[in-house]
Amino acid sequence: MRMPLDLLLPSWPDPHLDLGEYDPEADLVALNMGPQHPSTHGVLRVKLYLDGETVVKAVPYVGYLHRGVEKLCEKLTYVQITPIVDKNDYVSPMMNEWAVNAAFEALLGVEPPPRAQYMRTIFAEIQRIASHLISIGTWGLDMGGAIGGGATVFLYCLRERELILDLFEEVTGCRFHYNTHTVGGMRHDLPAGWDKRAKAVLDRISARTWEYERFLLDNPICRQRAEGIAVVDPTLAMELGVSGPILRASGVDYDMRRDAPYGAYGDIDIQVPVRTEGDALARALVRIAEMRESARIASTLLDGVPEGPIGALKPVKLHGAVKLKDGEEGYAAIESPRGELGTYVVAARERRGAASPYRLKIRSPSYHAISLLPWLCPGHTLSDVVVIIGSIDPIMGEVDR
Amino acid sequence: MPPRHEPLPADVAAWACEFLGVDELPPEGPFVPRDRLVEFATALKNDHDFLFFVYCAATHYLAEGEPGSDGALPDRTVVAYRVRRLPDRRRGRPTQTFPFRVVVPTGESTPSLAGVWVGADWQEREQLDLVGTVFQGHPDPRRVMMPDDWPGHPLRRDYAIDTAHFPWR
Repeated sequence: MRMPLDLLLPSWPDPHLDLGEYDPEADLVALNMGPQHPSTHGVLRVKLYLDGETVVKAVPYVGYLHRGVEKLCEKLTYVQITPIVDKNDYVSPMMNEWAVNAAFEALLGVEPPPRAQYMRTIFAEIQRIASHLISIGTWGLDMGGAIGGGATVFLYCLRERELILDLFEEVTGCRFHYNTHTVGGMRHDLPAGWDKRAKAVLDRISARTWEYERFLLDNPICRQRAEGIAVVDPTLAMELGVSGPILRASGVDYDMRRDAPYGAYGDIDIQVPVRTEGDALARALVRIAEMRESARIASTLLDGVPEGPIGALKPVKLHGAVKLKDGEEGYAAIESPRGELGTYVVAARERRGAASPYRLKIRSPSYHAISLLPWLCPGHTLSDVVVIIGSIDPIMGEVDR
Repeated sequence: MPPRHEPLPADVAAWACEFLGVDELPPEGPFVPRDRLVEFATALKNDHDFLFFVYCAATHYLAEGEPGSDGALPDRTVVAYRVRRLPDRRRGRPTQTFPFRVVVPTGESTPSLAGVWVGADWQEREQLDLVGTVFQGHPDPRRVMMPDDWPGHPLRRDYAIDTAHFPWR
């Protein structure tokens, strides 16, 4: 997979391009796209320098949704952090919860019981489908409303996602911010008969994935707007830390679920969809293929959920009950729908603050994906920028934290 | 019980021991002297295939009140990097990560790794903004999360969480 860097480097546009050669008044138009532009998926602002309709330079500005989650986590105990990080990637909250708790468990040396591992894995896969549904749907919407294959895809996707939210509501009581993971296991057990209902939903969704594929592939407008747009170079993507569907659509066969198994992924064979085109359409097609694969993984795991406890620790009622050792630091990551979602934790040194982390950093895949924009946008037209932002699928809650 | 830390890859650990002149590496990653950081990182990337930049995270430590340090350690920032090499199926090598750390005393700077991995650009910008670590030679040292005129760096340990700012934003 290694490509010679010298060959690739000159073809990358320079993100810190000096615009001195342009006369800003005569040649270039600076255009602020966002932060309240409907197609920037939240509060992303991209400053575009345009030569006619062609982008010469793109500078992303983030931070409009900065809530200081990492600072807040320093004041909360390990058990209290879970509901806070739910709000980071608000399209797939289960992943956030798992990512922080995996790091705490690794440092504590606690392994969740098999039933909790299976539940986590099943929830994560179902959540991945829900997240990709939003991604595909809103991307279709970006591509031009009803004509570009847009509003139809969006409504079909939301219809399916509703079924998934109902499933999670049945387990956790919440439709969105579940707060169901905890250090050492889960808070809520599966209700009776949930596996049958979940399988029915998964069968229904996986039978319908061909619809989304056909919506995109059979639509000449969509193909014209997405094919060959924003080709991501695999070496550049790796250096930037971009992972997940973006990397896999560029021909890099890497998925943490298969290559560094965690949870119950070690018990199951995973087919990782990879495409080599690297363009916007390939990223959408990888996501659709992943939805199908996730439905298969979740259905298979639902057959073999072991009986037993759902938590390794006693039910953690006291919020200060989980304590890590002096100054320990560690990192754990999971494969979220957008790529590698990890947590770096440094435990406190003072005995007084042992119940809360000294430093916690959330390594969010969207932040890395946003840093790809200065490389992707130059050379494309203004209308392509909308397609590019939609195809890298950033969640601003996770970028800004 | 799962391992507390992912084991360091043996070949790189042996090379790093030789490079740094130590016998053993801590599982959280070795401390690299600042003046040899760029050399170390370049060798990791070019000779050992660590192409994937995972993250860079700075942690601020206060000088006083450090148990086990007799107060001799100054006010400092520890920058932790982590890089990864993707699986090589032809050689049967699994995916491996390698963490390393740098100690930056407050008031001094550390070389930027943005020239080695381009991904370090935005990661270091975030640490510069939130923790206040100065990265020498960074191509774009602007704030990324906080407003440009924001006083202080919120993730420093001496920055109180309820620090008042006027006007409220």
